[in-house]
Amino acid sequence: MKRRTSRIRIRKLIGYIVLLGMLLIIVAPFYWMVATSLKGNLSIGNFPPTLYPHHPTFYHYQRAFTTYSFGVYFRNSVIVSVIATVVVVILAALASYAIARLPIRGKAPIMVFLLAISTFPQVAVISPLFLILQRLGWLDSYQALIIPYVAFNLPFAIWVMRTYFAGIPKELDEAARVDGAGVLTTVFRVIMPLATPGLFTGGIFTFVACWTEFFFALVFNSSQSFRTIPVGIALFSGQFTIPYGTIFAGSTVAVLPIVLLVLMFQKWVVAGLTAGAVKG
Amino acid sequence: MRLSKLERKSAIAGYAMLSPAMLVIALVTIFPIGYSIWMSMNTINSTFTGFQFTFSGFTNYNIVFQSSLFWQALWFTTMYAAVTVIIELVLGLLVALALNQPIRGRGLAIAVMLIPWTLITVISAQMWGYIYNGIYGVLNYLLMSIHIINAPFLWLGSPVSATISMMMADIWKTTPFVTMILLAGLQLIPSELYEAAKIDGSSAWNSFWHVTFPLLRPSLGLAALFRILQAFGLFDLPFVLTGGGPGTSTMSIAMVAYKAIFNDGAFGPGTAVAVLTVALVILLAVGSLKALRTQVGEIDT
Repeated sequence: MKRRTSRIRIRKLIGYIVLLGMLLIIVAPFYWMVATSLKGNLSIGNFPPTLYPHHPTFYHYQRAFTTYSFGVYFRNSVIVSVIATVVVVILAALASYAIARLPIRGKAPIMVFLLAISTFPQVAVISPLFLILQRLGWLDSYQALIIPYVAFNLPFAIWVMRTYFAGIPKELDEAARVDGAGVLTTVFRVIMPLATPGLFTGGIFTFVACWTEFFFALVFNSSQSFRTIPVGIALFSGQFTIPYGTIFAGSTVAVLPIVLLVLMFQKWVVAGLTAGAVKG
Repeated sequence: MRLSKLERKSAIAGYAMLSPAMLVIALVTIFPIGYSIWMSMNTINSTFTGFQFTFSGFTNYNIVFQSSLFWQALWFTTMYAAVTVIIELVLGLLVALALNQPIRGRGLAIAVMLIPWTLITVISAQMWGYIYNGIYGVLNYLLMSIHIINAPFLWLGSPVSATISMMMADIWKTTPFVTMILLAGLQLIPSELYEAAKIDGSSAWNSFWHVTFPLLRPSLGLAALFRILQAFGLFDLPFVLTGGGPGTSTMSIAMVAYKAIFNDGAFGPGTAVAVLTVALVILLAVGSLKALRTQVGEIDT
């Protein structure tokens, strides 16, 4: 018995060591980014580096938004990501409800089709989309990113939401129908409120994907006034040196809102991962 | 069987609700993929009036197959994907196993693990670029202060060290996400199974191979599939961290396609590279799912 408790103790100790090590490894580069963004230009290029900013300054934050157009990138990212996420949640909710609940044909092929679509790399569609957008005069526009983002994020959102709809007792739909409610009334009044966690999960995954997307944004919207944050930060460059202070000031501002958002909705993100693990 | 009036009405509503999503997906993915295949079989010239297509069969594929850059990038991407995915799965599994017990601070750990996933890859690339910098990078400072190296090392200066540095940045960013998927999978395994195994006198090692591993297969398959697909689309990290260099040693397939199309205006060959990538990814996806015997969840009606 004694041996067994000591074994459990060792296991726990290993758990704590792994946990601490992991936290340190994850956090250290972030610390370095934020610390650098608060340093003066001279100490950024120093070797050996100073491990913390001796004279913290917001100079780079000011430059990111005034000399450089970081404010524009930020606005573009917010507009594109928010609109794409809202559209995905609405379209995916409708589609996944239909697949989970309504007597339509070909449900299994539809789900397999969606899974297959979500495996396609973006590079597969880049040149035709570029030609089409150019023909439409839509290069450097919000819709040039919103539409592809919606299409590429719908399959996963539908997969996740379907799991939730499938988990709501069918009797609820039937009861509402018997009371004379139409399909839409049933969906919006009875089922959607119960499926809110699923909508959140689909929404969060979509938002993160849009916020971090680089390839489409680089190809379709590379003009200064339509760059999103990833493109802006990738193409940030000074005349002679890489302006790391400004890059990291902008990056810190870009990281904060999404970290807060994900921590707030942590429960739904984890739920999405579990749904993935169950359904595989 | 005749459908009741109510059922027929519901079915019509169902198709109506499904069609907007399917329409967008078809227009933005299916149609362009078909168009990509068509483009890859044409010689495309840019003229003042627009792009001129001339059907040329497999000419573009011949050009691609004769380009040493394509083969080099294909080898690089495959090797990069294999190494990073294996390391991330093994590391992720070990961390998930260590954390799959009632220890304090696990909630915090899960919260922190989500952060790298939300990080824009471009930012991660800039961050690591600064850490790896040969003149003022902090990595050199740390390694010099514990006497592992004596002089600053140019991490991104040679093909091998640039590749390893890029892999490290990738492993740093993605392992936490893999860990989350595996941890979620581990928590679905009922603890009674371990108790039973223990009573039967099974060692920790045996109960891992006979209880944990088989039940974790779907999660492992999911994580592997997700990572393989992502690794074959590798673009953001080399674009910013190494620019494909030194030379062309860290060019991924997606970068080759991008450069051909958007830097050299070679739409035909570039698109052929893209089509080949899709074919490869489909093969790998099917292969990795089969290997891990993961089944697509049953579609309940």
